[in-house]
Amino acid sequence: MKKKLRNLLAAALSAVIVCGALAACGGNDESDKGEVDEGGNTIVKIMFHVDSKSAEGVAYKKRVDAFNKAYAEQKIKAAPIFKARSTGASNYETELTNNKTEGTLADIITFDAPNCAAYANSGILYDISNIVPQETQSDFISLNKYNNKLYGLPIQESSAGFYYNKKIFRDAGVDVSAYTVENPWTFEQFEAACEKIKNYCTVAAVDMRIDATKDETAPYLLYPFIYAGGGNFADEIGLNAKGYFDSAATKKGFDFIKGLLDKGYTSKAIGATDFFTGKVGMYLSSGWTIPDIEHKYTEVFKSRDDWGLLPYPQDVAKASATGSWCFGITDNHHPDKSASKELLMWMTTTESAKEITDATGMIPARKSVETDYAKGSPEDVLLSQLKTTGRARPATIAYPTFSTQFNMVIGGIKTGSDLQSLLNTAATELQTEMNKFKK
Amino acid sequence: MWKSTLIILAVFAAVLFGLIVWDVFKSKRTKTRYRVRSSVTSYLMMLPAVILAFFFIMLPILYSLGYAFTDYYLLKPDDIGFIGFDNFKEIWQELTAKGTIYHAIINTLVFVVGVVPLQIGLALGLALFCNRKRRGVKIFKVCFFAPVVISLSVTSYLWLQILSPAKTGLLNSLLSIFGAEPHDWLGDPHTAMPCIIILSAWQGAGYQMLIFLAGLSNVREDLYEAASLDGAGAWKKFTNVTWPGLRSSFVFVTITVFIGACRIMTQPMLMTGYQLHTVTLSYYMYTRGYSDRWVGLSSAVALMMTVVIGAITLIQRRLLREKA
Amino acid sequence: MDKLRKSHLAVTITWYVCGVILALMFLFPIIYMLATSTKSEASVAASAGSMSMFLPDFKNFGTMFDNYKKVFTDYDIWKYALNSFLYAAVVIVLNVIVNGLAGYVMAKMRFPGKRMFSAIIIFLIVVPVETSIIPLYSVVKIMLGLKKTMSVLGVVLPAAISVFNIFLFMQFFEGIPNEYEEAAKLDGCSKVGVFFKIILPLSKPIVATVAVFCFIGVWNDYLWPAMILPSTGENEWPLLPIQAALITIQSIEGITTGEIMASLVVTSIPIFIVYVVAQKYIVQGFGSAGLKM
Repeated sequence: MKKKLRNLLAAALSAVIVCGALAACGGNDESDKGEVDEGGNTIVKIMFHVDSKSAEGVAYKKRVDAFNKAYAEQKIKAAPIFKARSTGASNYETELTNNKTEGTLADIITFDAPNCAAYANSGILYDISNIVPQETQSDFISLNKYNNKLYGLPIQESSAGFYYNKKIFRDAGVDVSAYTVENPWTFEQFEAACEKIKNYCTVAAVDMRIDATKDETAPYLLYPFIYAGGGNFADEIGLNAKGYFDSAATKKGFDFIKGLLDKGYTSKAIGATDFFTGKVGMYLSSGWTIPDIEHKYTEVFKSRDDWGLLPYPQDVAKASATGSWCFGITDNHHPDKSASKELLMWMTTTESAKEITDATGMIPARKSVETDYAKGSPEDVLLSQLKTTGRARPATIAYPTFSTQFNMVIGGIKTGSDLQSLLNTAATELQTEMNKFKK
Repeated sequence: MWKSTLIILAVFAAVLFGLIVWDVFKSKRTKTRYRVRSSVTSYLMMLPAVILAFFFIMLPILYSLGYAFTDYYLLKPDDIGFIGFDNFKEIWQELTAKGTIYHAIINTLVFVVGVVPLQIGLALGLALFCNRKRRGVKIFKVCFFAPVVISLSVTSYLWLQILSPAKTGLLNSLLSIFGAEPHDWLGDPHTAMPCIIILSAWQGAGYQMLIFLAGLSNVREDLYEAASLDGAGAWKKFTNVTWPGLRSSFVFVTITVFIGACRIMTQPMLMTGYQLHTVTLSYYMYTRGYSDRWVGLSSAVALMMTVVIGAITLIQRRLLREKA
Repeated sequence: MDKLRKSHLAVTITWYVCGVILALMFLFPIIYMLATSTKSEASVAASAGSMSMFLPDFKNFGTMFDNYKKVFTDYDIWKYALNSFLYAAVVIVLNVIVNGLAGYVMAKMRFPGKRMFSAIIIFLIVVPVETSIIPLYSVVKIMLGLKKTMSVLGVVLPAAISVFNIFLFMQFFEGIPNEYEEAAKLDGCSKVGVFFKIILPLSKPIVATVAVFCFIGVWNDYLWPAMILPSTGENEWPLLPIQAALITIQSIEGITTGEIMASLVVTSIPIFIVYVVAQKYIVQGFGSAGLKM
């Protein structure tokens, strides 16, 4: 019996030692460009935030395979790593930071646009201003910059707008055909439309998604209103919020949202599916909702004659939501970025952009991608918004705090707190956080 | 990492060894005899547990407690600097300025004070209800235990439907029968925390019910019969026979429910998100550490929580034990 | 006598009525899950916020089980379920041996430093572990270097140690009379032998308790496995356990609420079977452990 115990202990100890040894050895040779395998190929590691089996993952895999075929002669090989980002857990980011400690950061990573500032600031991302040619840069609808340096190229684009129930609008006699992206409706026209359709909706005229304050949804959908009202959240470098977040101009945008609630046009008691069942006239959401309407809710929305998409309303300025995941080169232990550049450029060609968006149903990130969206169709509205009125969320290292504070302001509006004091608190808290980065 | 780990390991081993030697010395005074052979066997038998506990429990905890004195920012893991008590100063400043952490502490206190008696009471009630030999009692027990194992995403979605501020929300439509106006249960700062307390108690009580049932199974039947013969009523029977038998289960349940309640995070996260009227200490800690990436600061909160919870637990043990 | 019997009957009936009401109060998530798993997205939306959300979609009887069909054919959940069973089996065996041995030593043997060990056990039960997940990740990935397929050890090993289970074993073993061991000792059995041959067979209730809670723990855990397990290629066997896979499946575009609920129903079944089978032992296990804090 003692023998058994001894064996057990030996096994446990050797397991620990073997694991340590495995970590120490193994792996390929290294060059300045990247790892080199037995065949002399330079390996460029690229990490994606999705599961390899998802539609998006499959599209990435295809593009990577095509790259490997095309670059076989130049001896560059792309090695994809799929690290699905599961909901809630910041496991993708934990993986990134631990790779950074270990010195195993992939050469190219995908990252969410609001993280750009923080990743650039902490040395995860590499400045690609000079790597990506000017004419390529100008072909992108948006770019991910921080401190005027380029850090990321969008994989695809997304925007948002007001889905509306055409039947309700017809019944109420509201004609919205004049409200295009070039000449959007005003805050007043928006309220007037709400007033008219109100009586034709069983729950509320418009779902402003003010219930979605648990994650990034509400900030993403609602921040353009503040820009439209002429306000702002922080300065250019994203280190000062006092005087911006709590300014009178910023209050104007929030006041508009509050007004919709106070006047009964929207409500905090709208069910998640109320728009899809015809109880609400308008629904603020991103482009993700198009496939949902077309495939899941065909009872109310039989065809595109039953629903449409309206742009964000304007006030003193025009603004609409932008922002999606991007590709970026990392500032890892491979100083020569030439091989990484080849892969980055390959993954962002018009052909790649088209293939990836064909799989995901989102909007191609490059202007030169041919699209066959009909004039005035939902996709067309989103695309022209991106091209003309799209404005990014504030580029600040303290973005997570911005997001929580924005949600708290919306939460405060719902409970009827005083708006100015809500904004003061938010500005102070965000400023405190920003000050931590000034050191 | 191995280097710092080896240092920790050395300190750990030294402390262990020191305490063992101290015990041996003390044994001479108290005349407790230790046998070398049996002691060595003991250590060897504990070794697998000690190794695993060291790597997967102690080490992470020690690291995270150590981070409390650093400026560890999640994205700069290779640039961690020692900053003394700065994190604690920052927490203190936020507290005195009545910032988020102030609300977090208040909300956690409210939650603990509310949920501990409610959950224990509910569990005890269920246990007493199930503690009889009737057909179907097993099925009831399974039902009461169900919320413990059902995925939180399902239960939270349902509770959101129940507490929905809409007229059609289940609770609101039920109350409207009595003519009540629809109410925003989770949005109203006065009702949000009570709702979260109720749903937490509902969700966890099944587990404590089992422990109480176990305690009840140790109460001998003949004591009840004796009490009946003495003409004791139901209440007398409970206080004189049932309660003494439940004593140790009660202590155990109180302490575990208390510790669990202090750590409440998932329920407010799923029900309301990060809002001043429901944010709790653990939720604050999680948000500061993961979303805002200040691992150092969040570890400082964790360290303070550990100290406070530990101290209260020790006091509870003393108090509850003495009476027993 | 007749009166007494009548009042007895009344008590019984009240008891059953109360029981059914209480049971419904605790069961409604399951009823909802079952009902929703039979519905299409449109009928889920139509029934939201009314009592019909707790009733299955009998109107479309023909399509009632479509969600289940889809879950099994499109998402391969049986592979992930098998993974979970394997992880749970290994974790249960390790847990009983590792923590059982430690609990036995703490309960039955005398050695210097014992008081300190029990202090450590209580301390580790009290400390909040939420922040230690980042360092734990570093320990597993960087220090022990458990990568690729070896990450599986990163799922199993941390789950194999549980201070609370040591505590449970300790409390239970304290209640076993010493005579058993002494008899075995006279037969020339070693301490380890005593543990495996005498103590464990006497401790079925506590072993069952620990096993059930290990199983529930492993089966329901998704955060940690999703964090440390690598995702696998098209033709490889996946490494993820069921709940982690479900989280990924739930985020697939185009999945309906009904399908999500169907997958949740399917994955809840094993837990219920295990729990129902072991329920008797769990109460015994907690009961004889005495649970003195």
